[in-house]
Amino acid sequence: MAGRNNNNPFDQDNYTHNIDRNNERSLDRRGFMKTLVGAAGVFAVASLPWGTLAAKELMGLSDKEYPHKKIVDVKNLPVGESLEFHFPSEHDSAVLIRLEENKYVAYQNACTHLRCPVYWVKEEREMVCPCHHGKFDVQTGAPTAGPPRRPLPEVIVEVKDEAVYAVRVKRYEA
Amino acid sequence: MKRSYVGVISLCLVLFLDIVFMQLLIHQYFFENYLVTLIFMAGNILLFPIAFLIYKKEKDKGAESHAKK
Repeated sequence: MAGRNNNNPFDQDNYTHNIDRNNERSLDRRGFMKTLVGAAGVFAVASLPWGTLAAKELMGLSDKEYPHKKIVDVKNLPVGESLEFHFPSEHDSAVLIRLEENKYVAYQNACTHLRCPVYWVKEEREMVCPCHHGKFDVQTGAPTAGPPRRPLPEVIVEVKDEAVYAVRVKRYEA
Repeated sequence: MKRSYVGVISLCLVLFLDIVFMQLLIHQYFFENYLVTLIFMAGNILLFPIAFLIYKKEKDKGAESHAKK
């Protein structure tokens, strides 16, 4: 370091030099700028997880299609009746409801309040959670009464060769 | 002692942009505009080297007049 003794103060080359013991709590101009650069670094790092999640969404990893699963033959499910099944895994119980001759809806039936199973009540044409009397609209899965605030996740179904198949789970939309 | 506040002011601007980008980034993420989210993330990350360069350039401004005193 030539020139170090020629400059006063000499060029700063470490991070502790600007601490003045008698005055260490006062923030000088240089220290303030350093703080701002540090804050910019924190912002840069903090935006990484959001970008990662967004990239993941763009690559479609969250909306994957599960292997199609046969639920029931059409002739075994009369109009207005419901049937419990499991999709996509054995631990995700779901309910399939035949609303009209050619209209089927299916939802994962863990109540969005405390995960009690939700049942289809044919007489009232409503989906009811017996634990706290939460109710869901059968057309959309949206909560209509009681404690739940979020809709039931919809299972997309497909009718093929006189049987109903579960295709995938619709993403939760806020 | 004469001071240069160019660095302080431009770094404040950079930090302000950081805050704005962060807010928009999170909003666009929840609005599911994921490409826009990525653009804001790139902006936020680019602002850090910019801030660092401003700091490097500006940290000794005003020191000459200090030395001459």
